[in-house]
Amino acid sequence: MQNLLSPKKRNPKRIINKLKEDWILYLLIAPCILYFILFHYFPLIGMKLAFEDYRIIGDNVFVGFKHFNTLFKSPAFFKVLKNTVIISTMKILICFPIPIVLSLLINEIRSSKYRKYVQSVVYLPHFLSWVVIAGIWISLLSTSTGAVNQIIEAFNGTPVDYMTSKKHIRWVLVFSEMWRSAGWDSIIYLAAITKISYSLYEAAMVEGANRWQQTIHITLPELRATIVTVFILNLGFFMNAGFDQVYNMMNDSVISVVDILDTYVYRVGLANGQYAYATAASLFKGVIGIILISSTHMISKKLTGKGIW
Amino acid sequence: MNKRIGEKLFYTVILGVLFIVTLTMLIPILNILALSLSDPSRINEVKGMTIIPKGFSLINYRVLMSNPQVMRSIFNSIFITITATTINILLTSISAYVLTRKGLIGRKFLISMLIVIMVFEPGLVPEYLNIKRLGLIDSYFSVILYKAVNVYYLIILMRFFEEVPESLIEAAKIDGASHATILFKIMLPLAKPAIATVGLFYTVFHWNEYFRASIYLNSTSKWPLQVMLRQFVVLDDTSSMLGAEKLLSFSDAAQLNYNALQAGTIIIAMIPVLLLYPLILKYFTKGTFDGGVKY
Repeated sequence: MQNLLSPKKRNPKRIINKLKEDWILYLLIAPCILYFILFHYFPLIGMKLAFEDYRIIGDNVFVGFKHFNTLFKSPAFFKVLKNTVIISTMKILICFPIPIVLSLLINEIRSSKYRKYVQSVVYLPHFLSWVVIAGIWISLLSTSTGAVNQIIEAFNGTPVDYMTSKKHIRWVLVFSEMWRSAGWDSIIYLAAITKISYSLYEAAMVEGANRWQQTIHITLPELRATIVTVFILNLGFFMNAGFDQVYNMMNDSVISVVDILDTYVYRVGLANGQYAYATAASLFKGVIGIILISSTHMISKKLTGKGIW
Repeated sequence: MNKRIGEKLFYTVILGVLFIVTLTMLIPILNILALSLSDPSRINEVKGMTIIPKGFSLINYRVLMSNPQVMRSIFNSIFITITATTINILLTSISAYVLTRKGLIGRKFLISMLIVIMVFEPGLVPEYLNIKRLGLIDSYFSVILYKAVNVYYLIILMRFFEEVPESLIEAAKIDGASHATILFKIMLPLAKPAIATVGLFYTVFHWNEYFRASIYLNSTSKWPLQVMLRQFVVLDDTSSMLGAEKLLSFSDAAQLNYNALQAGTIIIAMIPVLLLYPLILKYFTKGTFDGGVKY
């Protein structure tokens, strides 16, 4: 059996027999392949629009790098690129360490009921849509009735309209992102913590290490591989910066500081109908994304032996 | 002795910090709930930290329920979610089964097809034009089919199917079992927690989806609830919310508070997720996704 399957021993007749034997499997996977072709590969081929002028009637006209030239000369494009980089960087720097701390804290809980309560609550926001979260945050930050401004007023501060303040809106993005995903992202660290051998802690306790010392000298170093992997994965998706979040939290007063590549592509592409130009911007973002993902994949494989796929 | 007190204090601080963290998540949600359930005449008493309704009234929900557009969107959401998730589960589990059959000719090629999809994103406009070319604009099938298989979930299921012992499948084959029998009688029951988790994730995904629906579905009568919610809450479009006002008596209508109505819509949009949440926790904590792919 094994010989039959090994590639070296294959001959045309055996291949045909194998194909005949497995025809039902090909039939079963056919809808899935059809789906991938229709909904993933067709649009991928459609990206050639970046090098064309769109025609409603008749074939598109090949124009080479025309749209890329316009793109790289456009101040608007550089502004959204800058916003993307700033927002992504802020999110990585501030949101990345929080799940690690959270998992360490949750790991300390000895009461299983309390632990369950904390975990159930902190995972929940991940399952809410950004529309719902935007609704909750708009209410939370409202100047008249929002909890945040009421706390500020209680300490004799002046209320701030965070949603329309250019100075604050990026922080709103960072904190709402944290609110939504800190709990969920801590799962991967909690899973890694449960895999740490208990004997390490026993040895430390014999030497008189307290919980704090155990965390610093055992748990954190044991988590290093996971931390590195997650960090690298996040870098791979750097260009995304969170379309759904920005799309639902932005408004005319703050658009200049939160407009990111994806919202820009939506606006010029679908709202204004500049199909080819927007596709060029998408392709630019895609190329940067591929460079980031494949290089982080390689770095991750080298450092931890674990890649993205 | 001193050390013990120190550790106890440390422990209490940790529990306290975590309690505050959970409050920052619970209070905003409970506040919205309280706002939506409060008596309209006492709505001004509802402050940011209020988590218990002031008085009790279902008027906001009655207004929303008597708005035909809102009811329509709820049914649309239910229809899209159920249809799409059924297709998702069938396609994903069948594909995972086929792609884990060892020795299948072309298997490597098919798997590399998946990786290409994971790495290359076509961008919004080519996706939109593709849906247009397929003739799916303004058809429910655009939002049902555009994510018929999530590659990440497919790979998670493949990992599960790979762990089913080969001997079990061989034994079934000797007994004359077809692939369909093996898939439905052996693989699916064994991978039940994984399939349940993936199914729940798909359900939440479709229920929460608003963006594709808003660009692919032109007719407002086809909109799912999340698109409607965005219209009410994010874009502050109060005119569509007023749809049902004529159905109310004058005194009721005079009391309407938009913030409270918006809060009611947010709660309705959250209910299915909250209902499924215990199930998600149950299957998820079975260790299904240990350190694997998130999403």
